[in-house]
Amino acid sequence: MRRVFADRLAFATGVIVILMSILFALSRVAG
Amino acid sequence: MQLLYSLRGAVWILVYLLFILAPLFALLAGSHPPTRDFWTEFSVALGYSGLAMMGLQFGLTARFRYVTEPWGEDVIYHFHRQISLIAVGLVITHPLILVAVKPELLAPSNMLEAPLSAHLALLSIFSVIALVVTALWRAALNLKYETWHLTHIVLAVVAITAGVVHMVGSSFYLVDPWKQSLWIGLTIFWIGLLLYVRIVKPLFMLRRPYRVSEVRQERGDTTTLVMQPDGHPGFHFNPGQFGWLMVWGSPFKITGHPFSFSSSAAAKGGRVEMSIRNLGDFTKEIQRVPVGKRVYLDGPYGAFTIGNPADMHVLIAGGVGVTPMMSMIRTLADRGDKRPVILLYGSKDRESITFCEELEVLKARLDLTVVHVLANPPAGWTGEQGFINAEMFKRHLPPPYSDHEYFICGPGVMMDAIEKALGEIGVPMAKYHSERYSFV
Repeated sequence: MRRVFADRLAFATGVIVILMSILFALSRVAG
Repeated sequence: MQLLYSLRGAVWILVYLLFILAPLFALLAGSHPPTRDFWTEFSVALGYSGLAMMGLQFGLTARFRYVTEPWGEDVIYHFHRQISLIAVGLVITHPLILVAVKPELLAPSNMLEAPLSAHLALLSIFSVIALVVTALWRAALNLKYETWHLTHIVLAVVAITAGVVHMVGSSFYLVDPWKQSLWIGLTIFWIGLLLYVRIVKPLFMLRRPYRVSEVRQERGDTTTLVMQPDGHPGFHFNPGQFGWLMVWGSPFKITGHPFSFSSSAAAKGGRVEMSIRNLGDFTKEIQRVPVGKRVYLDGPYGAFTIGNPADMHVLIAGGVGVTPMMSMIRTLADRGDKRPVILLYGSKDRESITFCEELEVLKARLDLTVVHVLANPPAGWTGEQGFINAEMFKRHLPPPYSDHEYFICGPGVMMDAIEKALGEIGVPMAKYHSERYSFV
């Protein structure tokens, strides 16, 4: 069950990184 | 204790995210390069953050006790494996998006005339692909653990170094010297983490060797190594924790294997025991270790320990997963703990029940009940048979089940089944603890 937590944490980290990358790109495009 | 661990865990998650995202957003400060289209900027952000995640992998496997304690080393390694797939996905997506936006990048003339930094990017990507393939299919590729481990480290260093040189060489975002310094500093930090595990820690271990004082054959093709600190007081461990054992060669060699301590944590003089079942290349050699041999131990590690308030301890072991349980039982006996302990112990057959006789002796020293569960019981066996399940819990444990503390250690399939069974009888996740001894 603790491994399920680790799975979810890894997934959530991936989602956060992708969202932050989108934010980075938008902030660059918006100048 | 649990609350403190949760808080510490939350702080480390935030620190982890900060280390991944701060270097990316630092690029937005200072002088800005010309703006490009959204997809190009997005792909670059994926490349930067993917590389930062890969670099931090060295931190996840650096065995910092203070970091790993809230979760346990096995969960950290599991996270290391899962997050690497995501990081590699991000790193590979970076060039795929670039090529989708600018297909001309694939034109042979462009590829031949590409600068060195582009070739390094390719080297980095091929290295991360090789990293994943060798990690996921090590057994299928018939790679020995030691060979794989060394390859893993070399590929990771090549992937990260080539990636960072590609970044700095492209110099699109890293025009400002302080930004270059930030990323080069980060790389030095990541490689520093690797050097800490491979050089600094072994140096400490070299100064604190152990001597094998007894080699004991146990039932179930298992050998117990009794080790005494040689010229130092040793370390204190909590029952259920484990250490990395290096038997052949110096601590600088990549030959460490994790094993639970099976001895009492209350043993005097720093003496520790590890009971190791013959399951593979390394473990089959353990019975040939001569008395007096110098060995090295790195530990203790792991969050799989008794210590939370509990009305009784329920220990559930499968095969050699009994070793941390033995440490718990021996320690509770030495401490004169009066709380009930129930050991549900699954074995293949009667001959393979490691510590069978000693468990009977220990019953006289503490309130211990042992329930043997045999997969292949002999004729006339009246005890439990098959595999440990929810019905056995109901037969042997007093309700309410959610009041007890549960400890599970055994093969992965068994642990999955036990965790499911505990859920069926209403035991909350916070009440059970597990340790998986297959890290890679």
